[in-house]
Amino acid sequence: MSALTSKTRQIRFTWDIVILGFLFLVWVLASLTTSNFLTSLNVSQIFSNTGEIMIMAFPVTFLIISGEIDLSIASNLALSSCMLGWSYRAGLPIPAAIVVAIAVGTLCGAVNGFLVTKVKLASLAVTIATLALYRGIANGLVGSKPISAFPDFWTSFGYDTFGNSFIPKALPLVIILGIIFALVLHRTPFGRRTLAIGQSPEAARFAGVNVTKHKMILFCLTGMASGIASVVYTFRFSLSQPDNGTGMELLVISACLLGGVSIFGGLGTMWGVVAGVLLAGSVESWLTLRNVNAQWRTIVTGVLLLSSVAIPVLIDILKRRRATAAIKKG
Amino acid sequence: MHKLALSFKNRELSLLVILVFTIGLTSLINPRFITGSGTRDLFSSTAVVALLAIGIAPIVIMRHIDLSISSTVGFSAWIVAAQCAAHPNYKVWQAFIIGPAVGLCVGIVNGLLVAGLRLPSLVVTLGTLYIVRGLDYVVSNSVDYNSQDLPKSLMKLGETTYFGLVPFPFVLVIIFMILASLYMKFRKAGRDRYAIGSNPPAAELVGIKVFRRTFLSFVFSGTTAGLAGVLYLMRFAQVDATAFYGQELAVVAAVVIGGISINGGIGTAQGAVIGALLVQTIQGGLSALGVDAFWKQAINGALLIVALFSDRVLARRSERALLAQRIKERA
Amino acid sequence: MESTVTSKGDLVLAISGLQKRFGGAIALSNANLTIRAGEIHALLGENGAGKSTMLKILAGVHTPDGGTLNLEGKPFITGSTQTSIDQGIAVIYQEPSLFLDLTLAENVFIGRQPMKGAKIDWNFAQEESARLFKQLGVELDPKRIARGLSIADQQVVEIAKALSMDAKVILMDEPTAALSSSEVDRLMTVMRSLRDSNKAVIFVSHRLDEVFAISDFITVMRDGATVSEAKVGATDLQKVIKDMVGRELTELFPKTENKIGEVVLEVNDVTNPAYFRNISFKVRKGEIVALAGLVGSGRSEVARAIFGIDDYETGTVTVKGKLMAKNNPVTAMNQGMALVPEDRRQQGLFMVASVNKNISMESFGNLMKGLFIDFGKERALSETWKQKLSIKYDNQRDPVERLSGGNQQKTVLAKWLATDPDILIVDEPTRGIDVGTKAEVHRLLNQAASEGKAILMISSELPEVLGMADRIIVMREGRQVAEFSRSEATQEKVIAAATSSAKVGAN
Repeated sequence: MSALTSKTRQIRFTWDIVILGFLFLVWVLASLTTSNFLTSLNVSQIFSNTGEIMIMAFPVTFLIISGEIDLSIASNLALSSCMLGWSYRAGLPIPAAIVVAIAVGTLCGAVNGFLVTKVKLASLAVTIATLALYRGIANGLVGSKPISAFPDFWTSFGYDTFGNSFIPKALPLVIILGIIFALVLHRTPFGRRTLAIGQSPEAARFAGVNVTKHKMILFCLTGMASGIASVVYTFRFSLSQPDNGTGMELLVISACLLGGVSIFGGLGTMWGVVAGVLLAGSVESWLTLRNVNAQWRTIVTGVLLLSSVAIPVLIDILKRRRATAAIKKG
Repeated sequence: MHKLALSFKNRELSLLVILVFTIGLTSLINPRFITGSGTRDLFSSTAVVALLAIGIAPIVIMRHIDLSISSTVGFSAWIVAAQCAAHPNYKVWQAFIIGPAVGLCVGIVNGLLVAGLRLPSLVVTLGTLYIVRGLDYVVSNSVDYNSQDLPKSLMKLGETTYFGLVPFPFVLVIIFMILASLYMKFRKAGRDRYAIGSNPPAAELVGIKVFRRTFLSFVFSGTTAGLAGVLYLMRFAQVDATAFYGQELAVVAAVVIGGISINGGIGTAQGAVIGALLVQTIQGGLSALGVDAFWKQAINGALLIVALFSDRVLARRSERALLAQRIKERA
Repeated sequence: MESTVTSKGDLVLAISGLQKRFGGAIALSNANLTIRAGEIHALLGENGAGKSTMLKILAGVHTPDGGTLNLEGKPFITGSTQTSIDQGIAVIYQEPSLFLDLTLAENVFIGRQPMKGAKIDWNFAQEESARLFKQLGVELDPKRIARGLSIADQQVVEIAKALSMDAKVILMDEPTAALSSSEVDRLMTVMRSLRDSNKAVIFVSHRLDEVFAISDFITVMRDGATVSEAKVGATDLQKVIKDMVGRELTELFPKTENKIGEVVLEVNDVTNPAYFRNISFKVRKGEIVALAGLVGSGRSEVARAIFGIDDYETGTVTVKGKLMAKNNPVTAMNQGMALVPEDRRQQGLFMVASVNKNISMESFGNLMKGLFIDFGKERALSETWKQKLSIKYDNQRDPVERLSGGNQQKTVLAKWLATDPDILIVDEPTRGIDVGTKAEVHRLLNQAASEGKAILMISSELPEVLGMADRIIVMREGRQVAEFSRSEATQEKVIAAATSSAKVGAN
């Protein structure tokens, strides 16, 4: 299965710009049509709501580029969140509980990585299984007794903004992570190798890349990001329960695909992903402010997801038809 | 070497043995399980998942997947209920037309995108999962339906039992299973799917109509999901917009446990049904052991991993055998 | 060497003056072939002689540019695999492609399952397959699935399929390349039974002793044309080899005499039981050692094992006196080894990535600024090597798949030469490249050798091997069978060692 031609790459490069353009367009339209779109409250809401998705999208981008996928990230978030609450309730101070959450997240990622790289199971099937397993464990551990009492200092970190600005307290964390991941992807050998593995696993092998170890690291990073995201999530909602983050995995993956990451691997940029996440979040915010039924968001996400994979293929088909027509004429 | 090679018969037979064994084990823990009512419950609770498993079996055999089925079940169930509520004179057969019709539409969309545009089925059915679920919410507009809105004849049919053991929904499952099984074994179109899943490029070369088979399989799974929506109504007698939400995993687990390899080319409708029964039995056994219902989801996930693992072990075995042969040759 | 059955039967295939070019390269200039029913006909020639192209034209994969083809007196329609099948041509490739999850009976009848009413008649399929297997003299159970079957058995199933489709001509492309000697014997039994059923069998092979054991007729091709056709009794091994190679070795390869220094690569009794056994040799600074042999003899596997891409079981590899860990390419690279792989498209390059990014892949150590890659240095590296190797491309950022084969190969070479290796292993360095670039690549390799690098060159092209190497090691079926110095090597000797157990002459 390789629709990865260089033509697709060209389309993708312009796809980044298209998405940024769409994002800009949505903001313009939204602020024109809705009076309270461009308020600092609303903008901070957009950043808040997309924060956890953004954090998880960063390493998932690497994963998809390398040719794998992880559908268990949201369940990972739920489990890590429950472990955070559970440890806190058991008496641990918050900083220690945070460490527990991140460790649990990384461990779950490592389990995924082990099953995929060592046992050699397909990542799609495995992460469908761990999606249920992790959330199920969360359910079993905490199910009937969620934790909802957290110290104000921390819930403020998750929920509040700096003063009356549009900058949520959690935003700097997201930005720092984003910068790190972007730099690694685009400017380090590690990032290059990730792209290489996605473009041609065999050539990567011949170039001396240890594909197994590399993918394992990616799965662990993804797990760790789920852990970090779970911390922000837990404090934002001041709630540790097994339903946390339900459905988020689809949002993350949709945003990545929307941002120009190819589902076939080997292709993608970080700013495209950022734009994709913000685009989805902005559209949702716009719809909410217009009092549109919240469930339209689900439909819109689905349509966006389908478009992000269908449109490049359609463009390719049109180009080829035009090329053969030209040859026939000439 | 011959013994290492798995023929169709061997896999399903061993699964059946495992099923009987597991039922036996569960009955030891919970003697009620093996009674008439216990068996009826088993069949009732498995019917929907079993039907869905049969529906996606051809798809998985072709190395694809359909994640949108659970949304389709919920959506079609709601639409059927809504139609029945709006037309109180509707009988059973109307329900059995409307449900599958809804599913048919979803199946056509999936089929066109996957077979026509050659988009990966994971992404496509993820998208339609979302879209159909969203449509369900929007169209339903928070309106629920319960048994008063549904035709009495439909509810009665749901409770009809044959031989005192097998409720009607499961009879439907068995009929489907037999038809699907015969089709996959004795019709060229059925065999084509195995070929496509086993060696996609070679399938094209021998003239198999890949687009047609793929498209129709997605149509089949969609329609089956629509039918399963009707069965859902018969069992639960109520529906809201969250009906059957998140059950994709149970179906995938049933399918993989039932011997349909995620790598394609292998599997039968019988296997799918046995897999569904096995999953349900294990669930029943565990809850009889006092395992909290909260762990149900985790167990499904773990079961799927175990099934994937054993699938892989078998594949590895034949790889090793081939390697051993090579070594012998070069000696 | 025996061929006792006189071929009889009618003229089945008459090919004359066949021509085919691919772009600028001429694959066939004047190919002839005459086949009759009930005969086994061998098609011989070196790599690039045109045998595969001829087979592919018959199979319907390519259309010829000129010449005539007649099947049983009527014009043969080319250009489509389905029409070839319909006209009674069946092809058995080296790598059979069965449906591994389906039964043998189903594979034989794939796409054309026999029906009884509305149902597939499995009984008939199984009985008929069993009958065909018996006719071919082979014991296979039609009810078992194809997975786990050896290549040899898979071939037999393909042959049974051909028979069930009433094939008149059965083409076999190097059928014995992957078989053990006992399997070869069995295949010969199968071929004889085909002949007895009055089928025409055309097979391409490099294993000359087998060819003489089984064929009725031998056609030899060279450089795209047929040079001889003879009954097997009327020719012999020596004459056939002469026909295959009989060209003058022009001085295409300016071989420089280098100062040969100490041993830098020592391979000692290395064994991977599935691919090669007891391989031992040394390569010195400034030396070019060629590893010659047929495709499938295990040379690429040896190279990959030395470099660490594949694992091996016993034996040692020592580089500059240091023992190398198995299966670890990074250590190999750190010790100064480089491997230019056989398949540049799948193994050597990232086709969708730019020339830039391909060349820099192994050289990041030198391109960093702090923690990050310095794009300026990367571009400069690319420029440097573009000049050095005269790589032609429009834009540094164009994907590498836009380049010609020759320039792609140069890109792979640039990537590895940029690491300044002490040991350079090249696997088929000039495969599929035009003549001009070939010469450039040879010049490059010579230059690398003169700079003191040790070069291990794997090649199936005799002139290249003889022109470039200081020493030639010949492998056959996973074993080292001969070694020749530059002065004593001849084409005949190398081919004889590579293809047969018989010795050729005393020159």
